[in-house]
Amino acid sequence: MKSESLVGTWRESPLQRLVVNCAVTVGSLILCLLILPTRLPGMELAGIGPNWLLIWVVAWSVNRTMFQGALAGLVLGLIQDGMTAPAPTHILSLMVVGILTARLRKGRYIQEDFISVALIAFGTAVIAETVMAIQYSFQADRSLVEIWTYHQLIALSSAILSSLWAPVVYFPLNRWWQWIDSLEQQ
Amino acid sequence: MYTLRRWWDRHRLRVILASLAVGSALLIRQTQATPLFEVYQLLSRAFQPNLAKQNLLESAQDQELRERLTELESQNQRLRALLGYVSEAKKPGIKVPVVGRSADHWWQQLILGRGSNDNVKAGYVVMAPGGVVGRVTSVTPNTSRVLLLSDPSSRIGITISRSRFMGYMRGQSTSHAVMEFFDKVPDVRRGDVVSTSTLSQLFPAGMPVGRVESVNLNKSPAPEATIELSAPIGFLEWAVVYPHDPATQPVVEPGQTPDQKSKQ
Repeated sequence: MKSESLVGTWRESPLQRLVVNCAVTVGSLILCLLILPTRLPGMELAGIGPNWLLIWVVAWSVNRTMFQGALAGLVLGLIQDGMTAPAPTHILSLMVVGILTARLRKGRYIQEDFISVALIAFGTAVIAETVMAIQYSFQADRSLVEIWTYHQLIALSSAILSSLWAPVVYFPLNRWWQWIDSLEQQ
Repeated sequence: MYTLRRWWDRHRLRVILASLAVGSALLIRQTQATPLFEVYQLLSRAFQPNLAKQNLLESAQDQELRERLTELESQNQRLRALLGYVSEAKKPGIKVPVVGRSADHWWQQLILGRGSNDNVKAGYVVMAPGGVVGRVTSVTPNTSRVLLLSDPSSRIGITISRSRFMGYMRGQSTSHAVMEFFDKVPDVRRGDVVSTSTLSQLFPAGMPVGRVESVNLNKSPAPEATIELSAPIGFLEWAVVYPHDPATQPVVEPGQTPDQKSKQ
């Protein structure tokens, strides 16, 4: 009963709907950010956890334009830079992920379900770590051999874990955004 | 003008939301994610290890060894005083829980559950059971971020305790690190204990780091040794932060005693 009345008020007042939508989106993002420094048992491989920000960017960009995907990458990259260190930057890798994901969906090569989102997360995680490794290579701070052997380890672990955990973020968030969209179109 | 106006009317909301998002992200970046880490610390408080209990669990033998070490240290201090060698007394450390790790995969960092409210400052040295693990790089009111020795960007001057041959160590993102010697033919064996050297500015001298696991004397340009870090960097639950100010660290030049330096 109560939820019915809630939906009723949201249908009537777009402003309230917008505020709630923003709150849910930002809330999910904060949840991803807070879980980032943890290494929960069962959620890590060789000390490496899932890349939650990448999963969020994928979930966001799947049904959006390339520009929106890039914007999400920029925002999350800035935050991750603040949480670790600004050089080399995470903005580039996350923006590439956002743009690529939006581009893939635009092409309609892939159907929308759990498996394809997990696949996108797998591929983009490898690409994101590669972008980071290329940046490190230009920095000349460590030797190339060290960078690329370490890249193999983290690209694979992070890709496996991110693809396995991607549906956990993608499914509820996407359901929510679809529901809000359907309310808006009514 | 009219098209611009129409575009603004249509996209006003999106533009405002996007600039808000970018603005707050920039703010978070400039503040080193302080609000995020504060919330993280608040939420993780329930899961932090009980430090009082940890103290009780330390065994009696550990206690005995520690007392003997204190005795030897004070003897050493007295002998040094007789020789006219001035060294500052060891300051007490702050025991802190480890609440998190690096927020990405490339950096080797720790998040500690105490910050500037508990007098932790950037540049302080972090020890764990076993030896040095790293150094505080940034602090928020209730958390601090530590750059681990295992990070490839952290370089530290170390010395072989037995033969006093020096070199520097760089991390390898694992529990092993690589030491490069300054000398062509160092006297080093497998199992030698390694500690921070007097040339290290970021760390006080004589703190245990690890032990030599293998030696490669044929390596060019300098001989190398693989060091196994003695602190279990992969699964730390708590650490001790020691005050250390790199600026006040006396830099002793060759052929000069610390006394002469202070007189200059």
